[in-house]
Amino acid sequence: MDAIKFTLNGNEVSYSGSGSDRLLEVLRDTYHTTSVKCGCKEGECGACAVLLDGTLVNSCCVAIGAVEGCSVVTLEGFRETERFAVLDRAFAEVSAVQCGFCIPGMVLAAAALLSKNPHPTEEDVREGLSGNLCRCTGYNAIVNAVQNAAKEGNGLW
Amino acid sequence: MVNGYAAASLQEALELRKAHPEAVPYAGGTDLMVENRPGVTYLFLNKVPELKAIAEDDQYIRIGAGVTFTEALADDRVPQLMKEAVSRIAAPAIRNAGTFGGNLGNGSAKADSVLIEFAADAKLRLVSLGGERVVDVDKFYLGRKKLDLAPDELIAEVLLPKTGLEQYYYQKVGGREALAISRVSFAGVFAEKDGKITNIAAAFGAVSDTVLRFKDLEAMLLGKTIEEAKALKADYLAAYGERMQLTRGRVSAEYRKTVCLNLLGAFLEAQGI
Repeated sequence: MDAIKFTLNGNEVSYSGSGSDRLLEVLRDTYHTTSVKCGCKEGECGACAVLLDGTLVNSCCVAIGAVEGCSVVTLEGFRETERFAVLDRAFAEVSAVQCGFCIPGMVLAAAALLSKNPHPTEEDVREGLSGNLCRCTGYNAIVNAVQNAAKEGNGLW
Repeated sequence: MVNGYAAASLQEALELRKAHPEAVPYAGGTDLMVENRPGVTYLFLNKVPELKAIAEDDQYIRIGAGVTFTEALADDRVPQLMKEAVSRIAAPAIRNAGTFGGNLGNGSAKADSVLIEFAADAKLRLVSLGGERVVDVDKFYLGRKKLDLAPDELIAEVLLPKTGLEQYYYQKVGGREALAISRVSFAGVFAEKDGKITNIAAAFGAVSDTVLRFKDLEAMLLGKTIEEAKALKADYLAAYGERMQLTRGRVSAEYRKTVCLNLLGAFLEAQGI
């Protein structure tokens, strides 16, 4: 049986388990990229969001067999980028993080939004983050952080 | 791979489908992975280029079964009515993965793109190694989670009429703004020519085993003027009320029926009836 090959945060990996395994569990249990959080396993909370070939998806709703030949980026990989540095500062400056559980997904959702729409309105930001639930902040600080990141990172997105 | 077959072309997908009918066709995964049947084997279709295209011919916008909702929203050819419905599915990460074929294949009466296909009289192109057939979407649904899809067939395309969908009324009633499953959904399509009603399609989603549409009741208003339709309105709404035997779901059957009839009335009002 051929193993499933894909790149994870730029490194080529090959997974020899079942093709029907959840990407979420493979990322956490096999590759220990534990920034990817398990909240609901139903695609309803966004805590497990990753970038799959640059597109935001919930890793709980992806079977690993579908990832053959793809690029997967988790926060562990994204934090090496300049874009992360801008988002990191923006989130810190407005205290957009409380317990932190939703933040890896939130940051990747923000990155996915800004790379498609570098100058989002507040409504665009709320729409872009609408699949990421946060039980602490009430969202306003996170929305402000993303808008600030858009301004601060002008030209970067 | 273990528990999976990956197809790189439609031909290969159909060969694998025939050889392994037990393998569940996997498009975007957003429904299948929630269900996550133990020991399931998937036939991965997400890399089949023939299923990923949007095309058009004289009559139809042809949306490949593997086209995601996000891709459809970015395409100028996709009718606004369809965009309105799919833009309200879940949230970006789900729309990035979920597909038209998967929404159909899952067999749910809550599928937001399928509601539009019912209202639009869409057709589906089904393919197998033996050939292909085109079926009306309402004939494709045989009952709850029961589809007219042979074990060696795959859904290839949705065929949406290019014209006639301009005048519509769409409402999705859900528990919240985003990430909401439809509790009741409604799509109406209206057309008139020379002062007479030529189309008054009314489709109801999420309230029964399949999307509902009653063409014999629609016929009450076909060929009528707006004034004649106004006179028939009370009878028409009463006929729908009598016909709708709804089941209980996340909300009660009574609630569903009341909302359906309210939406139907609002659809008529929006057309001046």
